[in-house]
Amino acid sequence: MLLSRPSPVFSFSVKASAAEKKKVLIVNTNSGGHAVIGFYFAKQLLGSGHEVTIFTVGDESSDKMKKPPFNRFSEIVSAGGKTVWGDPAEVEKVVGGAAFDVVLDNNGKDLDTVRPVADWANSSGVKQFLFISSAGIYKPTDEPPHVEGDVVKADASHVAVEKYIAENCGNWAAFRPQYMIGSGNNKDCEEWFFDRIVRNRPVPIPGSGMQLTNISHVKDLSSMLTLAVENPKAACCNIFNCVSDRAVTLDGMAKLCAQAAGLPVEIVHYDPKAVGIDAKKAFPFRNMHFYAEPRAAKDILGWCSTTHLPEDLKERFEEYVKIGRDKKPMQFELDDKILESLKVPVTV
Amino acid sequence: MARLVVVQQQSQPSFSILTSSLSDFNGTRLHSQIQYKRKVWQPKGALQVTASSEKKILIMGGTRFIGVFLSRLLVKEGHQVTLFTRGKAPITQQLPGESDQDYADFSSKILHLKGDRKDFDFVKSSLSAEGFDVVYDINGREADEVEPILDALPKLEQYIYCSSAGVYLKSDLLPHCEVDAVDPKSRHKGKLNTEAILESRDVNWTSIRPVYIYGPLNYNPVEEWFFHRLKAGRPIPIPNSGVQITQLGHVKDLATAFITVLGNEKAIKQVFNISGEKYVTFDGLARACAKAGGFPDPELVHYNPKEFDFGKKKAFPFRDQHFFASVEKAKHVLGWKPEFGLVEGLADSYNLDFGRGTYRKEADFSTDDMILGKSLVLQA
Repeated sequence: MLLSRPSPVFSFSVKASAAEKKKVLIVNTNSGGHAVIGFYFAKQLLGSGHEVTIFTVGDESSDKMKKPPFNRFSEIVSAGGKTVWGDPAEVEKVVGGAAFDVVLDNNGKDLDTVRPVADWANSSGVKQFLFISSAGIYKPTDEPPHVEGDVVKADASHVAVEKYIAENCGNWAAFRPQYMIGSGNNKDCEEWFFDRIVRNRPVPIPGSGMQLTNISHVKDLSSMLTLAVENPKAACCNIFNCVSDRAVTLDGMAKLCAQAAGLPVEIVHYDPKAVGIDAKKAFPFRNMHFYAEPRAAKDILGWCSTTHLPEDLKERFEEYVKIGRDKKPMQFELDDKILESLKVPVTV
Repeated sequence: MARLVVVQQQSQPSFSILTSSLSDFNGTRLHSQIQYKRKVWQPKGALQVTASSEKKILIMGGTRFIGVFLSRLLVKEGHQVTLFTRGKAPITQQLPGESDQDYADFSSKILHLKGDRKDFDFVKSSLSAEGFDVVYDINGREADEVEPILDALPKLEQYIYCSSAGVYLKSDLLPHCEVDAVDPKSRHKGKLNTEAILESRDVNWTSIRPVYIYGPLNYNPVEEWFFHRLKAGRPIPIPNSGVQITQLGHVKDLATAFITVLGNEKAIKQVFNISGEKYVTFDGLARACAKAGGFPDPELVHYNPKEFDFGKKKAFPFRDQHFFASVEKAKHVLGWKPEFGLVEGLADSYNLDFGRGTYRKEADFSTDDMILGKSLVLQA
């Protein structure tokens, strides 16, 4: 029987100028699903010997800084990184006039927010400008997956940013991520499933549950970004889907979370319109196929995914329990409304 | 007792006819794929863009679908090609769009070895009498069919096997990649066992795993199923949500892949998924077939298959699940790339086959009527 054999990895090694250490500035959002990208990227760069400043938008004293990953920024500092806070429109002032080789804007979603950073980068001699965009800009298609070069929604604000940096920055690259898991995440992802599974509650999933999506460990994203920094010529002027190389169905995600928890799961499907609720509020993922593949990263950077969702979720569940979230009292109002309309009993 | 029948080979050297007279069926883009392949496997220091060294090639099967296209490419390359079949189907058939001259040229060169591959003694004796450099096993299903071939040809340079992506274990994580787990209980376990036998014998094997194959002459009613309904102006009944994702690969792209691995060092003892670069939802496929055939956007009717007893009939030509495989390995390792996008490829199939009034199976709308009858009742 032919078992899965480890076939030779077909990534090629791009000539990495590994000896060349870079000064990297990360302009990081202070909340939301993308916040954790800057955290992992900073740590990976520091681990590779590069100099890193992470510039978080807003005030250091803000309540937002009490949440992960910000409440773990000491890890960046002890690894030799700098942390600053301020308004990205005043980036030069906030970084104290320092010069950088590379800038990653992991904050702006529209041109008004990114333009000042990009303009300053160009005028201050930054050699490489990287931008965290979003795979959400792809136009829905009958023919998945979304691959780089596919049609995007013309009016999406990230699109205007991608265009601007392509036209104005000498060496640029845009990264389009989707959903992420990983310790230090600012936004719930797998926790939504764990919350229900550990409390023996049904997991309500809109539609068929067959919708495919990318839920990547943020390590895959930071490794892709690091590869771009270390191979600027290859990375130049490209768009990269910033996702791991396997997609999962919504039902599949529920099942994998349950397996990671070592518990059973009851999945219940519903039609949001029939129930009369907004699926966006009731469920943390898009109710449609939202599926991209990281083909450009593999082709151009020789990038490989090093994560595996089933194992990663085990680690995530261990942390979930360690911080006591499984015991935390919770309300499930929207769930209850859905289950009530479907006449599904909830055993407490 | 099967007889060895050899078709008289033309004694004059053949001219390589890679002109636009074949473009209807070969496609000029196919031509450039072959030229790339020539450069790939020339020995170092002898990089030539002339005819690759002639091989004596045996195709097990080759008269129905994949082999029909593959054999033409091989003959064009200058190889001596023999088809091993029982002779039940005509050894050659003129393809739609193929000129009389090209067809005559091909027919005069292709050789036939008549026999039943299940007659292992005959396989062994006839093959060892002939001797072949390369075997393309297009119709093999079970592992025991391979052994007499390998026993007969100890100096075999390469065994190229048409396996199936059906061997992959169903998974919540997709796409299927060559390194992923396979299912020893699958309907295609014969293919898996064949791959295992090849791996265990000391032979240079290559295994190709296609997904759903489509194109002119398809005998599996894949696109034909949709075309029948579109032509009849009928709604398309699709099981469950219609968001299930499947994948179609054009037969010509598959044939090119089979050529690309011939004598290719990078293909030795490797498995490759071969299909289209993009996948498609069931609903999307119905729409793509309509576009390809110039039909209006179809009415789709979704139904729950559990509510019906279709008996032995198939109400829908695809597995009711996600089923698709990444072809990135073939692209990276072999430099192969599918030429056909989905709508383009379906149009090629339509224009050369169904659209000309030819198809393999008569339309059978009995399961449709069961589905539509019930949905009409529910709406009333």
